[in-house]
Amino acid sequence: MNVLCLFAGPGLILGEIPIFAMLLSMEDYDYLFKIVLIGNAGVGKTCLVRRFTQGLFPPGQGATIGVDFMIKTVEIKGQKIKLQIWDTAGQERFRSITQSYYRSANALILTYDITCEDSFRCLPEWLREIEQYANNKVVTVLVGNKIDLAERREVSRQRAEEFSEAQSMHYLETSAKESDNVEKLFLDLACELIREAKQNALVNNEASPMPGEGKTISYLNCCSFS
Amino acid sequence: MTRFVFMWEKMSDTNSSMAMKRSASTGSSAVSTETIEALTELDELERVYQQLCEEETQVDSELEALISQRGNIETKMLALQRMGPNLQLIEGDASQLSGMITFTCSLAENVSSKVRQLDLAKNRLYQAIQRADDILDLKFCTDGVQTALRNEDYEQAAAHVHRYLSLDQSVIELSRQGGESSAVDASLALLQEAEQRLKALVKERLDQAIADGDLAQVERFFKIFPLLGLHDQGLARFAQYLCTQLASKAEENLLLALGGELGERRAALIFADTLTLLLEGIARIVETHQPIVETYYGPGHLYTLIKHLQVECDRQAEKVVEKFILQRDYHNKFQIVQSSMMRSVSTEKMEPRELDPVLLEVIVMNARAELYLRFLRRRITADFEVGDATSPKATVQEHQQSLEKLLKHCLLSRNMQELIGYYIPMEEYYMRESFNKAVAMDTYEKGQLTSSMVDDCFYIVKKCISRALSSSSIDCLCAMINHSTSVLESDFREVLYNKLRQGFPATTLQDIQRGVSSAVSLMQSSLQQGKFNTLGIESAEDAKASFLVTLNNVEVCSENIITLKKNLESDCAKLFSQGFGSGEQAQAKIDSCLSDLVCTSSKFKDLLQEGLTELNNTAIKPQVKPWISNFLSISHNIEEEEFNEYEANDPWVQQFIVNLEQLMSEFKAGLSPVIYDTLTSLMTSLISLEMEKAVFKCTFSRLGGLQFDKELRSLVAYLTTVTTWTIRDKFARLTQMATILNLERVTEILDYWGPNSGPLTWRLTPAEVRQVLALRIDFRKSSALIWLCHCCHGQLEVRLEQVVTDGQSGGIGVGGVHTDAVGVWAGIHGFRTENWRQLEDSVNRPTNLGLDTLTTCRRCRPAL
Ligand SMILES: Nc1nc2c(ncn2[C@@H]2O[C@H](COP(=O)(O)OP(=O)(O)OP(=O)(O)O)[C@@H](O)[C@H]2O)c(=O)[nH]1
Ligand SMILES: [Mg+2]
Repeated sequence: MNVLCLFAGPGLILGEIPIFAMLLSMEDYDYLFKIVLIGNAGVGKTCLVRRFTQGLFPPGQGATIGVDFMIKTVEIKGQKIKLQIWDTAGQERFRSITQSYYRSANALILTYDITCEDSFRCLPEWLREIEQYANNKVVTVLVGNKIDLAERREVSRQRAEEFSEAQSMHYLETSAKESDNVEKLFLDLACELIREAKQNALVNNEASPMPGEGKTISYLNCCSFS
Repeated sequence: MTRFVFMWEKMSDTNSSMAMKRSASTGSSAVSTETIEALTELDELERVYQQLCEEETQVDSELEALISQRGNIETKMLALQRMGPNLQLIEGDASQLSGMITFTCSLAENVSSKVRQLDLAKNRLYQAIQRADDILDLKFCTDGVQTALRNEDYEQAAAHVHRYLSLDQSVIELSRQGGESSAVDASLALLQEAEQRLKALVKERLDQAIADGDLAQVERFFKIFPLLGLHDQGLARFAQYLCTQLASKAEENLLLALGGELGERRAALIFADTLTLLLEGIARIVETHQPIVETYYGPGHLYTLIKHLQVECDRQAEKVVEKFILQRDYHNKFQIVQSSMMRSVSTEKMEPRELDPVLLEVIVMNARAELYLRFLRRRITADFEVGDATSPKATVQEHQQSLEKLLKHCLLSRNMQELIGYYIPMEEYYMRESFNKAVAMDTYEKGQLTSSMVDDCFYIVKKCISRALSSSSIDCLCAMINHSTSVLESDFREVLYNKLRQGFPATTLQDIQRGVSSAVSLMQSSLQQGKFNTLGIESAEDAKASFLVTLNNVEVCSENIITLKKNLESDCAKLFSQGFGSGEQAQAKIDSCLSDLVCTSSKFKDLLQEGLTELNNTAIKPQVKPWISNFLSISHNIEEEEFNEYEANDPWVQQFIVNLEQLMSEFKAGLSPVIYDTLTSLMTSLISLEMEKAVFKCTFSRLGGLQFDKELRSLVAYLTTVTTWTIRDKFARLTQMATILNLERVTEILDYWGPNSGPLTWRLTPAEVRQVLALRIDFRKSSALIWLCHCCHGQLEVRLEQVVTDGQSGGIGVGGVHTDAVGVWAGIHGFRTENWRQLEDSVNRPTNLGLDTLTTCRRCRPAL
């Protein structure tokens, strides 16, 4: 959201320094994105976040209460990307708290557990929530977690892929325990968000693109979720 | 000693050198006896003889030298002899010392081995005493326990058993193997039996005391348990007692709450009050009994007690919550809210006001629960800290985790989380519905800058967020901040945006109302007034007022959001300082949500800007432009006479100022000072731009230039009084134009331009300076135009005097001579000398004449 604010600072007539220049000089990042993790209780959202932000698999991870908040700054192609990660509680009674975060999210990571059919069957319900509360420009990624438990798999990869395709979502399978695809999940997402932000900036600044922009940056093949 | 060695070395040195010399002299006799005997020739003989003689003299001299050393050597020998006894003395001393050292060493060896033996003996002695003590104790305990039991002195008995239990079991075992085995065995058997008996007795008596509700007895036996090593059992039983007390009190309170006749004020919060009583009761219990537990059980046991109490607390709290949900129709209310939020047009809508009490009660309940849990956290943490002072890190962590689990996942917490889960959508509904109402009932009173909805809406936001804040739940607060951001940013901004989109009506009515136009238009207006009904006029007036009020509203919103954020920040700081929220995480969450909120402020600012631009374009520009065009109808190509007349009867600027004053008075009255200021700033920019355009369409005489200078001064002076922004900057270009137009002679420009410009920063480009110069009729006719070097701003003088015919293009043109001797440059494009205007145009657009090369002087372009 902030990125979009950058280009819509207060008018020059008020004589203020353009807000984006201030922001860039004060904060040490080029982009800031909000990522919200959602999905049934116990599918491993907290473990995914902790794996990504702290590089560990927490033993005896208790259920999340309300929402947890973490920040990780990554560097992609020389640009500093600050990721604000909101890890929500999956339990029903926290639903109304977590819903209030959808609207300002740049991306949603919808997680289910491949060893739990139930968590997969709840996905349509989660999509309805997204539809209802999230910004229509939000990027959604479907994540099947716990692939280290292959012998207990209940949801086949193909089924999940078909589902995500039908909903035009990206799909990725991960293991927070074995650190499989966790880094990729967040970094690819960051790339996608940068691409969107740049496109938005171009649309907003159609008449006068930022100097040097538009020509030099290739948006294609930055990253891909395939 | 050192001296001695040194001398000795010296002496040995001399000896060896003498020995060497001697051997060298014997060896060096070149002729042996045999050689002499074998000689036959005289010559040979003589030569050998000669040689031998030489050798002899040499040997003689050597001998003499040696003999001369004799005295020296004798002296040294004498000294050596005198030292002899000294050396013997030293040798004696040394051997004596060595003997002493050997003796001391063996002595030390001897002593230390004795000390070691002594130490061992002492240790054994201690052990022996310990064992003797233990055996004595054992006997003492055995006797004591019997007596104590007989006397029902359980404390004493327990103390004996405790003593026995703390004896070193291995020692007892050893004693049994020793000579006293039978006696010890008997004691042990007695003791063990007594221990079992005592345990059973104490349990029984405690249970009895609990059943009787006899606190004194309960406490008495509770204290005995740890002496028998039954910490957990004691705590469990004690907790059981406390729970029974708790339960009966809680049930009584709930009954009172449900059936009692209470005042209305109390009735509204009765469930919150009942819950409060319950939680306060538990806190009091902890407060009262913590000292006993600490004293008799030691630190680190409070957690166990509270864990037991929490079970009862959960049970009782759930009852209260259940009753609350039932009596307050909580779930049903939520259902109604939920369905009416899903479908915007709903059959069953709930009055937001109806929700007020129930929302408040939930918040109070949660706040109490948070307060209670924070109390438990503080107490248990402190107790663990003392108990775990020397524990390994793993134990400390384990304790911390079990504490977290107890507090976060207890049923009380879950119940509260559930209530808050319903509360949030209801509070959101409350906010949205109240917003809609405030917007629908929006009114504004004449003389007021903003309308009621801004105050109302922010009152509502503040109320909802404050309510969420007083729940002490950070997640609940964050959720409500998020919803407020959303409502302000989309819903409320939309309302204001739509109002602004209706625009500021720009009709001829403006002129009519203001009545500033000429007599003709006045006449027209009276005609037209007949046509327009008053309603039309009024609605246009309303539309205008509504637009201005909306602008004020937008500005106030943007300010209010910033204030709201600041207030919330300090409120949260207070909350954190009281220990609510778990540290950094909570702070970071709040910060993030608040920064989203404050972002909406700038969105309102953008909207204000859009609105002002709109106002400037529709209400100011169409009026100001014709007023400035009037400037053109006033000739500035004037002589003395006209100048004087202008002096007497101002032809333009005064009227312009009056018009502006009138135009802006409406805005000044209707807009907040800040917005009005921004608007006047927009207006002054507009005026300076339009004036510039007008001036370029004008021609000036010397006095006309002076006139313009006067006019501009009046205008700037006026505008300076109406705005706080600096006008000078905006009018810098115009002021510079006036300066140029006001020159006596064209060459005076050089006092301002180029190397002479001094501190003056030119806002006009060289081309523009030329363009302005050309506006002066007299300069233009005076056969000389000033051209300035693009590079050094030095003067390029070009005389437009030569008419040349260009053979190639066939046209007639103007020849100019560059004093820097660039050469004849024009004439190729076919301008006629008579057509000054066209020439000027071309001159002002240098590229037309290919002047790019010419407007740089030769000094700057040496190649030319
Ligand atoms: N084998 C395996 N177990 C995992 C993995 N990720 C999480 N788990 C386990 O799944 C359980 C739940 O993980 P959490 O991360 O707490 O789940 P959550 O989605 O955050 O749950 P809520 O906070 O209640 O919504 C924990 O016991 C984890 O150890 C994984 O990749 N592999
Ligand atoms: Mg979690």
